Amino acid sequence: MEQAANNEAGTADQTASEVRAILRQGLLDEIQALRRFSNRGLWALSLFIGVSTLAWRQFPFLPRPQQLAAAMGPPPSTQIISMVLILYTFSAIILSLCRMMGNMLHRSSFCHVGYLSVFYLFYFLADGLADNYWAVFGAGFTILSMESYRIWTYCNENIHKKNEQLAYLERNGRLPLDDSFSEG
Amino acid sequence: MGDRAMFDRIAGRVLIPVGIVVTGFLVVCFILLYSAIKNVVIKDSIGHANNLAGIVLKSTRYAMLKSDRELNSAIIQNISQQKGVEHVRIFSKTGIVAFSSNRAELNRQVDKKAEGCILCHAKKEPITTLGNMQKARTFKNNAGEEVLAITTPIYNEPECADAACHVHPASQKVLGTLDVGLSQDATLTSLSSIRGQMVLFSLLTLILTTAGVIALLKMIVLVPMQKLQEYTERSESNSHLAHPSNLPYELDKIAQSYYFLKNKLDEVEPDGAKTTASLHEEQ
Repeated sequence: MEQAANNEAGTADQTASEVRAILRQGLLDEIQALRRFSNRGLWALSLFIGVSTLAWRQFPFLPRPQQLAAAMGPPPSTQIISMVLILYTFSAIILSLCRMMGNMLHRSSFCHVGYLSVFYLFYFLADGLADNYWAVFGAGFTILSMESYRIWTYCNENIHKKNEQLAYLERNGRLPLDDSFSEG
Repeated sequence: MGDRAMFDRIAGRVLIPVGIVVTGFLVVCFILLYSAIKNVVIKDSIGHANNLAGIVLKSTRYAMLKSDRELNSAIIQNISQQKGVEHVRIFSKTGIVAFSSNRAELNRQVDKKAEGCILCHAKKEPITTLGNMQKARTFKNNAGEEVLAITTPIYNEPECADAACHVHPASQKVLGTLDVGLSQDATLTSLSSIRGQMVLFSLLTLILTTAGVIALLKMIVLVPMQKLQEYTERSESNSHLAHPSNLPYELDKIAQSYYFLKNKLDEVEPDGAKTTASLHEEQ
């Protein structure tokens, strides 16, 4: 009878330690994923600098703007492209600030590189890339820096929170009930 | 460690995004606005250059009808002495310099593939009509100065075809080309002045925005937070603490809650101050 009780207690201990190990591993995986994700903004910024280098060289692999215009029709004027660029920059900054305020996880960095590349291409087609190159570069650098900072702060906060949960798990053998726990 | 502390502080967290956003957006708007102004100024210059080319054509028309080479040369020399006029040339249909402000160029053959000529002579059959903007080209002269040149075709007119002196067949649409070059020094100086003023304006806006954010942040958040922090630190050593004053609404609520809790704790445990101090020592 006593041996059965001992066995039961041993099994419960073993189950508890298995659950703890699973939870611990889950937290460690989440921390690892957040660490990887925190560099996403910098990768997007690097890709943008690569695209900007091609734009600086006037896209050497593309036909001349006149040839492209002859094949596809006239491009929009540089004034229209500039107005759209200002609107886009303004909206992207406001969106990024809203996501920062709402502490939202949003993987939007790489699509901005795509939008900015399209602006480079339109200026190239309208024969206005030389005059407006630094405007697109400035817009891209600002938006992607904001996004990098937002992602980096979001990940850092969550890594900090996960580390606290890990410490709590090590001390108490379970996860805290909610996010507003205090240490100890 | 120092960098991490900067990012963790409220001031750092506020100033970094504000700095990035304001600087970036100002730079983008500045470049686009400057580019738009530059386009307007250059279009204006091209318009003026086209007008000048028209004046030269009208001035030389009578001399050309009379085939008076001396009068034509004198008109071109006089116009080229005007300040800002870099060169004036008239090419014949075959591309030979018939009249020029630079006498060394006279009777020289011009390459039809050269910049300014290729636009019309790219195909076998040359283009005879061009828009105002297409007539213009910019280049640097031997002295390294920026020059805006306008190439205008001289069209055949009934008076030219019927003239007794040198008959052009009526079927010939273009008789020659007028090339007028204008120095861009004045335009570039104006653009440089506009650029300087815009940079100054952008810098002032940037400094004012950053200073405004710092001042407001300090006045509304940082100083009251400092007061609250000092109040809580003082309460650890002082068991009879007065209610904090002059705090904004949200911080005042926190201070009130803290004051209420501290009083309750002191009632339950009179040596609460000691307990708090000992807790800090344990940490």
